[in-house]
Amino acid sequence: MKIVGMRINGAIQREAAESVCSALMSDFGDEELVAEAARHSGGRLERHYVSIDCPPALWRLLAETLSSEHGADHCSMITGIHWPEKSPDMQWQVIIHLMRTTVRNPPSKEKITQPIAVDATIVQGDDMPLEFEIRIAIPETREPAVASVADIWVGADWNEKETWDLVGIDFEGHEGMRRVLLPHETPAGYHPLQKQHKLRYHDYEEMYDDPQGFQRKPVDKGRVK
Amino acid sequence: MAEMWISMGPQHPMTHGLWTLKVKVDGETVVDTEPDLGYIHRGVEKICEARDFTQITTYCDRLCYASANTWSHSYIYAAEDLMGVEVPERAEYIRLIATELQRIASHLMWLGAYCPDIGNLTGLVWCLRERELMMDLLQELGGSRMHYNFPRIGGVKRDLPHGFAQRCKVKLDIFLDRIQEYEALLDESTIFLIRTQGVGYAKAADQINHGVTGPNVRAAGHNYDVRWAHPYSVYDEIDWTPSLERPSIKGADCYDRYRVRVEEMRESAKMVMQSLEQIPGGANTYHDPGDPAILAKAPSRAKDGETGFHHYEDSRGESMFYLVGGGEGRGKMPYRVSIRSPMFITIPYASKCMIGYKIADIPAIMGSFDPCIGETDR
Amino acid sequence: MMTEEDPNYAMFNSRILVDMVGDVTDEAMKASKMKQIIGALAGRFFNWGQRKSLFPLHLGIKCCALEMAAAGASRFDAERFGVFFRSSPRQCDVLLVNGPISKKFADPIVRLWEQMPEPKWCIAMGECAISGGPYFQSYNILEGVDTIIPVDVYIPGCPPRPEALIDGFDKLRQKIIRIGTLPSASRATAEAPIIVGDD
Repeated sequence: MKIVGMRINGAIQREAAESVCSALMSDFGDEELVAEAARHSGGRLERHYVSIDCPPALWRLLAETLSSEHGADHCSMITGIHWPEKSPDMQWQVIIHLMRTTVRNPPSKEKITQPIAVDATIVQGDDMPLEFEIRIAIPETREPAVASVADIWVGADWNEKETWDLVGIDFEGHEGMRRVLLPHETPAGYHPLQKQHKLRYHDYEEMYDDPQGFQRKPVDKGRVK
Repeated sequence: MAEMWISMGPQHPMTHGLWTLKVKVDGETVVDTEPDLGYIHRGVEKICEARDFTQITTYCDRLCYASANTWSHSYIYAAEDLMGVEVPERAEYIRLIATELQRIASHLMWLGAYCPDIGNLTGLVWCLRERELMMDLLQELGGSRMHYNFPRIGGVKRDLPHGFAQRCKVKLDIFLDRIQEYEALLDESTIFLIRTQGVGYAKAADQINHGVTGPNVRAAGHNYDVRWAHPYSVYDEIDWTPSLERPSIKGADCYDRYRVRVEEMRESAKMVMQSLEQIPGGANTYHDPGDPAILAKAPSRAKDGETGFHHYEDSRGESMFYLVGGGEGRGKMPYRVSIRSPMFITIPYASKCMIGYKIADIPAIMGSFDPCIGETDR
Repeated sequence: MMTEEDPNYAMFNSRILVDMVGDVTDEAMKASKMKQIIGALAGRFFNWGQRKSLFPLHLGIKCCALEMAAAGASRFDAERFGVFFRSSPRQCDVLLVNGPISKKFADPIVRLWEQMPEPKWCIAMGECAISGGPYFQSYNILEGVDTIIPVDVYIPGCPPRPEALIDGFDKLRQKIIRIGTLPSASRATAEAPIIVGDD
């Protein structure tokens, strides 16, 4: 099938990812940062992204570098994971997904705004859209915290609120941290996505167990799932 | 004049879902806003940690209920990234048909809810009537009117039914005629134009920094679309362009966002008709469920340490699933499912866009960003 | 006529006068059997009026709200049965609960229920409102709206088709005929809730 609709060139995206990685390694390589160009597995099209492992103390500097030098203009998602079985090395993990979208305001030419219609087949270099995945491992602690980037990308603001609300990872420098999905009166310290909070009715082995008080049918007595 | 906080919601006809918008007004002018979400927070991310990878698809349909297929496909692409599965081409075409029909249905639901916000109840019944056409087609594909649970890891659950291509073409022809009726109704209505033009300006670079993507950014003059920027499925084999609008120097107003979505509906209809012609094997061949032409063999377990994520162009923006597999003794269930909802980030931004306008502009501005609270609250 | 610590209170509180006159009138009508006569003559007429014009509340919680909207649209057309959605709870008589009730929304929905004037009914539409649905294991969802509000009709489905919703309204109409127009507090003992499809 020949290509009719537009898409970016996978090889050029790989080159853009590798150039970002080499720039980051030369800047931060001696501070335990690992950056490599990775490829999404699955699917028939190649999609490359920049995969970075960052120590917690370096996050703020890395974020500023990505934003100013490498064009990461969109904070897609900030996720937190609680790993109780991997402590003490990594009890908490923060995963940040950024994107370089190269979106800018349409310029005015001869007093009329010209909408920007990118031709994906010819983008290269700094105009190539890229995904960044940054993984931050936080060692064992009762109060996990990482620097906030809500002033660099405003989109990180509500993502950080949600991560704190559900997982419990605090973001230093974030103003106005509050409960955003759980009710406001939720007791402090209750973060449901931590692994010690179990799901209701989970770990019930028997199929016809009686969680809501319905009567068990006589024919199912003694049955196990 | 004294300033006061007014609470709009949770039960409010304009809110398109269950949330509260607290606005601080000085007379009639909006001075500050504060959205209050979480009224239907179901804890889906926690529940999915106790479900098999195939069982999670049912939850993903119900995330954004107006646009169910796009969310279940978004999850399935992330699961395929996690397990490294390659999907047969016929299945990708069927997925494209399902996704684009769902995109039309979602935009119709948006327009059907947006018109009464402006005061035009005719738009509501007309759009819901057309949405019934789309829901009939999706019911043939997926089996129910909403919440189809349609894709599987590695393909789709069922092939195109017999005669689907003919019915689809007939209905899409009717639909393309009816879009012209909507344009005649709305674009020539002075009230609609007064209420939507010149309100709710939003610039492209500002939106991207705030995390807003999708039709809202394309209305602001840049044609960024995840379907070509991080390509997936067979969008590169279909002749299509992202719908783009020319905004004013101040940014995109509500009218631009409305026009972008109408053009997207047309574009999606053309995409479906092209896919029906180009689908490998022809649209009239039928493969049984489980046939390798439509469903590849996929593992049911993900090992410890494997992760997968996928950015996806949902009807409302860029959605993403991040899956972490494995962990102790839980091969068939994920360790963490993280869902990125475009509306969760857009609603605070849209609330900021309202500052400086009147109370009567609030439904117009909020509705033009197309909120859907199901995905916001997860 | 002075009551307690009400600061905005002038010499005379008209609400107390209205309550007192209402009580006196009620007693007089009961004593002279006028209340019974009016009830016998007009009760069936009021019952006819109530069941032929059920006004649900314009409340959309989750997915079933889209099927509720489709039921009100032109293909299924609930409006020909007198069903007309109102935005203010004070003008409604049916509370159509069409989604899961989270802990945050439990308080507002009870407040909406209490704002509705008598006689009022509640329909639980969809699995989430009946029993918590697919989210029964959630840390934030109540197991059904009947834990906080008395429900009259249950409509199962995820989501139920618009025809099932219209059938639910029909079953509610039959229930209104059966129980007359008792206030909802005493109705719990008078009639068991109906489940659509349970014939």
